[in-house]
Amino acid sequence: MQIYVCVKHVPDSAANIHMIDNRNIDDSVPFLMNPYDEHAVTEAAALKKQIPDSEIIAVCLGKKDAESTLRSALAMGADRGVLVETDDMCDSMTTARVLHAAIIRDGGADIILTGKESIDSEGMQTQFRIGALFDFPVVTNAASLEITNGKARVGCELAGGRTRTYELTLPCVIGAGRGLNTPIYPTFPDVVKSRKKPIETVARSQLNVSDAPGSAKIISMTPLVQKRNPRKIIGTPAEQAAEIIRILRQEAKVLS
Amino acid sequence: MTKKYDAIIIGAGVIGSPIAYELCKMGYKTLNVDKLPDAGEGSTAGSCAIVRAHYSTEDGVALAYEGFKYWLDWENYLDNVTDEKGLAKYMNTGSILIKSDGHDWRKVKKHYDAVGVKYEEWDLDTIKKHVPPIDLHKHWPVRRPEDPSFFDEPTEMLEGAIFCPEGGYVNDPALSAHNIMRAAEAKGGEFMFNAEVVDIRSENGRVKGITLKDGTQIDADIVVNVGGPHSFKINQMAEGVWEGCNIKTKSLRHEVMYCPSPEDYDYLNDGYHMSDGDIGCYVRPEVGNMFLIGSEDPECDPQEWVDPDQFYAGKGGPGRDNVLTDAQWKAQCYRLGKRIPSLKVPNQPKGVVDLYDCSDDWIPVYDKSDLPGFYMAIGTSGNQYKNAPVVGRMMAELIDACEKGLDHDKEPFHYEFKYTTRTLNVGFFSRKREINYDSSFSVNG
Repeated sequence: MQIYVCVKHVPDSAANIHMIDNRNIDDSVPFLMNPYDEHAVTEAAALKKQIPDSEIIAVCLGKKDAESTLRSALAMGADRGVLVETDDMCDSMTTARVLHAAIIRDGGADIILTGKESIDSEGMQTQFRIGALFDFPVVTNAASLEITNGKARVGCELAGGRTRTYELTLPCVIGAGRGLNTPIYPTFPDVVKSRKKPIETVARSQLNVSDAPGSAKIISMTPLVQKRNPRKIIGTPAEQAAEIIRILRQEAKVLS
Repeated sequence: MTKKYDAIIIGAGVIGSPIAYELCKMGYKTLNVDKLPDAGEGSTAGSCAIVRAHYSTEDGVALAYEGFKYWLDWENYLDNVTDEKGLAKYMNTGSILIKSDGHDWRKVKKHYDAVGVKYEEWDLDTIKKHVPPIDLHKHWPVRRPEDPSFFDEPTEMLEGAIFCPEGGYVNDPALSAHNIMRAAEAKGGEFMFNAEVVDIRSENGRVKGITLKDGTQIDADIVVNVGGPHSFKINQMAEGVWEGCNIKTKSLRHEVMYCPSPEDYDYLNDGYHMSDGDIGCYVRPEVGNMFLIGSEDPECDPQEWVDPDQFYAGKGGPGRDNVLTDAQWKAQCYRLGKRIPSLKVPNQPKGVVDLYDCSDDWIPVYDKSDLPGFYMAIGTSGNQYKNAPVVGRMMAELIDACEKGLDHDKEPFHYEFKYTTRTLNVGFFSRKREINYDSSFSVNG
């Protein structure tokens, strides 16, 4: 089985993000694999254990630096990587077209795993657009996955804590959610082994991807500045607790 | 009207608080001022709070061994004071010092013998029996993952280790400083928070007091600089003090990592503190069955000397601010991964970034100054947390002796240890000393 995993190189959520102009952040901050994609890679590694002659190919669209995220995917169990290199910031339409073209160029997919969203742009569209381009069925926010008799049985988490189980024909596209698994991180021996695994770099221009009929561009970005007004809550522990409840009810309005 | 105290201590961390406590016990009326909101909230909170005896000098070993006794007797040391936050707890894990080219362990052993530190020699089988997931191949010299030879297959084995059954860590360093504050308050000491010192005033060649950012002036005949990473800035505020120090201090950025222990190893309850010069790391258990991984400052690692105010404000950019870097995360975790091959290393760094108040030779300055009445307990270089209570006592006695007329520069004060029968020449920590080349020039002191 050919398992493709789409991974994105995103800023570390713990980094101090600074804007350098009204459209770009200072990208010298640490970048790493999108956390939802870690669930996708972990699931791919679990599928390979179940179906041993499988191959896991991690695919990434990004700058040269994104190779480190592919290295992380290889250390977590992917067999090889494909980096489609671009310096452009791509919207979901373009990203899906590029990833679609990269997968076709590489071979044929039996299953494509992605994270349910990326934590930087939070578009939540790429997996659906890839599915549409391939004409494959798509589900997202997967919390369970079983492959039996050439079909994928996927439990997905919906809003309000509900779950729904789908049966998908293969090939298909699955957006991994947090509930799917606990990411399995690499040991140092895994890292050593992964250094020998190949990463192919392809320029985006080599893929001859046609322009999408539309596009979404960032016109401006402004940092969210939260004004904090700390104050000290004094009194006995019981009085302090009562005051916290009052603030949560009357000021923050998060308790009824 | 200006307020008046016998002694003002700048800083309410784990060293400033015990100096106040001991001065109070000797009858001084003290005030600690700190720019942060509570005791121990500065670089004390970022300390790994490791309690171990190995130092590269005999006096260093002796002071640490004496300090250890205070942690064992914590409630009595605090005179059974009540702290509404509870008491910090010393966790005795025992301490493994790996014999390696990265540590002058023969010198440490000689100092252990001289001081009377209890220890055992462990061969590789004994280490393995106590630390089941360990791999004992030799990896020296320490390298960075950016260097391809970092990943070379090791062929040689280590020699063994020196194990001290007395060693471990304190579970909450900030709380330990808070405990000492409460003990000092019970003896009459006062503490002022959110108070930033902007000037040290002097008159007729003697210190007169401090001025706070809001303009408040507070007078005292004695002012003690225990400003941690801000120590060099405070020395520069006092007339002639900075210029009079042969040993200077500056603030060094440091990262400590939290990496989950392998699932089948209960490191929190069964693990040891371990200092491993072969991989340039030290480790201790942390809540959540984590390995807390510190760096022993191998030569290949860059040193980031930063401005403490910029750093704590999150400014200066990646590698110079208070956010972990991916490069150092991989360096420290992969180094430990060589020793504990089943350690799983997450993609996202987790840990603490803080500052050392680092001296030129990584040995502290516990001394008077060229300005009468102005004293300093600075340059702790990431290796003095464990000594805090004994240093508090030693500084208080030094200050008292100097105020009563001792010329400590000419006739150095000798401090008599309370628990171990030994006397320490406090001139060892003089600001006027030449750089001590016996030092490890690392966190090991």
